[in-house]
Amino acid sequence: MEDFLYFFTFQDPSIVFVVIGIILLGVGSAYVGTYSFLDKKALLGDAISHAILPGICLGFMLAGEKNPLFIVSGAFISGALATFLSSWLNKNTRLSEDAIIASILSIFFGFGIVLLTIIQKSGNPEMAGLNQFIFGNAIAIQESDLYIYGGLAVFIILCLTIFQKEFSLLVFNPDYGRAIGFPMGMIRVIFNILMILSVVIGIQAIGVVLMAALLITPGAAARFWTDRLGVLVILAGVFSAVSGVLGTYISFVIPQMPTGPWVVVFLSILALISFLFAPKKGVLSRYISRRIYLKKTHRDHLLKLLYKGIEADKSGLPIEEIYEAFPFQKKQSEQSIKNLAKDNFITQNQSFIELSISGKSEAKRIVRLHRLWELYLNEYMNIAPDHVHDTAEKLEHILTPEMEELLESRLNFPKLDPHQENIPRDHDEL
Amino acid sequence: MITQVKSPILEIHDLTVSYDQSPVLWNVDLSLPSGKLIGILGPNGAGKSTLIKAIMGLVDPSGGYVKLFDKTLEEVRSRISYVPQRESVDWNFPASVLDVVMMGTYGKLGLFKRPGKKEKELSMESLEKVGMHGFANRQISELSGGQQQRVFIARSLAQNADLYLMDEPFAGVDMATETAIFELLQEMTAAGKTVIVVHHDIYSAVNYFDWFIMLNLHLVASGPKETVMTEDLLRKTYGGKLNLLTKVSDLIRQKEFNPLKN
Ligand SMILES: Nc1ncnc2c1ncn2[C@@H]1O[C@H](COP(=O)(O)OP(=O)(O)O)[C@@H](O)[C@H]1O
Ligand SMILES: [Mg+2]
Repeated sequence: MEDFLYFFTFQDPSIVFVVIGIILLGVGSAYVGTYSFLDKKALLGDAISHAILPGICLGFMLAGEKNPLFIVSGAFISGALATFLSSWLNKNTRLSEDAIIASILSIFFGFGIVLLTIIQKSGNPEMAGLNQFIFGNAIAIQESDLYIYGGLAVFIILCLTIFQKEFSLLVFNPDYGRAIGFPMGMIRVIFNILMILSVVIGIQAIGVVLMAALLITPGAAARFWTDRLGVLVILAGVFSAVSGVLGTYISFVIPQMPTGPWVVVFLSILALISFLFAPKKGVLSRYISRRIYLKKTHRDHLLKLLYKGIEADKSGLPIEEIYEAFPFQKKQSEQSIKNLAKDNFITQNQSFIELSISGKSEAKRIVRLHRLWELYLNEYMNIAPDHVHDTAEKLEHILTPEMEELLESRLNFPKLDPHQENIPRDHDEL
Repeated sequence: MITQVKSPILEIHDLTVSYDQSPVLWNVDLSLPSGKLIGILGPNGAGKSTLIKAIMGLVDPSGGYVKLFDKTLEEVRSRISYVPQRESVDWNFPASVLDVVMMGTYGKLGLFKRPGKKEKELSMESLEKVGMHGFANRQISELSGGQQQRVFIARSLAQNADLYLMDEPFAGVDMATETAIFELLQEMTAAGKTVIVVHHDIYSAVNYFDWFIMLNLHLVASGPKETVMTEDLLRKTYGGKLNLLTKVSDLIRQKEFNPLKN
């Protein structure tokens, strides 16, 4: 608790630097990553983040110390080389894109590990910090690092904001962009540069192995909540910043703990929450709407049963007969009867159930949709009368009044369905 | 049966286009008059989209050239508007109808600048022309296929061009909308614009177009409706792929280089 207060009251200026750094970095990479996710190029980020390791090592070897300028430049150059190589191979060979990306990723990363081992063997005392670039350590961010990493993050955010319409065009419809004369090739290059930069700035805090997660996961999680690009980008940034700060806090409390994996843990929790609980697209909400739908179908079927009773000259049905009509669904039937009574669609006299006036009208509507659809399938699609029942049984619950109108006029207000049963209209006497 | 015209708005000279070496368009050579509603007919895979893409400079020809308004494409790009095939984009992209239509104004707007009030008004007008103004703030993923198609047409109208190239703008559009949009296109050609449309339905095509291009890997016909709408030419266009051409295509694909490339 003491740690918690100390960290989150930001009394310590070095913590302030770290937190500002991680927020900028998180927002920047989530912003780029969201576009990359929408562009279905999630793998490219992974390849780049692995591919910058040799550059980091070479930068370190040249400088002889952990100089951020050398390391960032080295990382950028090897990331750019990997990106360039993969698009060149894509254009000039028939290898598939995922094969190219997988090879580039492993070749560059393998080479990076070799260099890292050489540096370790050399016994350079500065070496200690270099391991951190694999899994990241946000706490080690210093003021001088912040200017470089934070500055680059701000640059990325600005660029994306200025080029928003160009990047949207690049993702949504690049051919159209070329047709109106925009230099789409150049815009792709700029986007790739931003992508590489966003990976590069994450190496200190998150590490090369997990940086791809910080690019893609925030956008993917935020996509569950919204269909608007502006909201999507902001939400992704918030997810990313929150996870970044929490991951950093863990590194602060447990000093040997790398930041990257914890940031990814928190991001994954947010992604899981989104996946489960987001309205409309979340699993839970889809489950609930399915339950509601099933309830409605049961209710509709019960109304139809009562209606068919009337067609067979029974003014209503005993409740036992209704239970029997839906075997093993007694609970649902009880529930439907309760709901229908509440909506005044049925009246219950002891255990005898009858349709009310509005109930009759609703029942007629459902039967009408069912029979109209059967007739449509039969007449327009030449489907035999004994094959039309099943789809009609499903569609009767979802056909809209507009569709009903359309069916009526197409079929010219028919009287009988393919089974020679009456198609009931609201004004028909019962 | 190829009718050439004087001072054409579009001239295609001996154009050959290949994908990965296999040619899909052979020596297309035609010229088109301005102010006409022009239909491109041909079976699936005939190279209709490829022809339009070659005109728009989206695929590089392996031979021949295209001239528009007697100039190169670069010089007259702002006067040309392109409607890609609906399936060529991912409609799950998070954007509103208005966002997409506004892309039609980007060409004149140029890089960096953001669309403002003027662009918004222009886009709303275009949406109104295709009867979609009520949907301006809808997400494009929520639209039906026919509505998405109309959004694409509105986007191209917002470009305010002189020559329109539309790739299957009527695929998945219902009859009433098709009629309404054809009337709109006819108004545009009456006002001097030229509209070239890839169309899949010969029967409705006959009613609307003034001029036809018939394509099946090579150019079968190009000319006014009266001269090219013959059973013989239609049979040549739709009567199966040309066996010889596809065989040669296969032959070329197996080579290490493209012998047609200049
Ligand atoms: N990007 C591409 N790469 C390789 N082949 C392609 C590509 N696009 C189209 N093709 C092939 O070129 C031929 C013509 O395609 P297209 O112009 O789309 O025909 P259409 O629009 O008339 O249906 C088809 O056989 C198609 O498979
Ligand atoms: Mg096509």
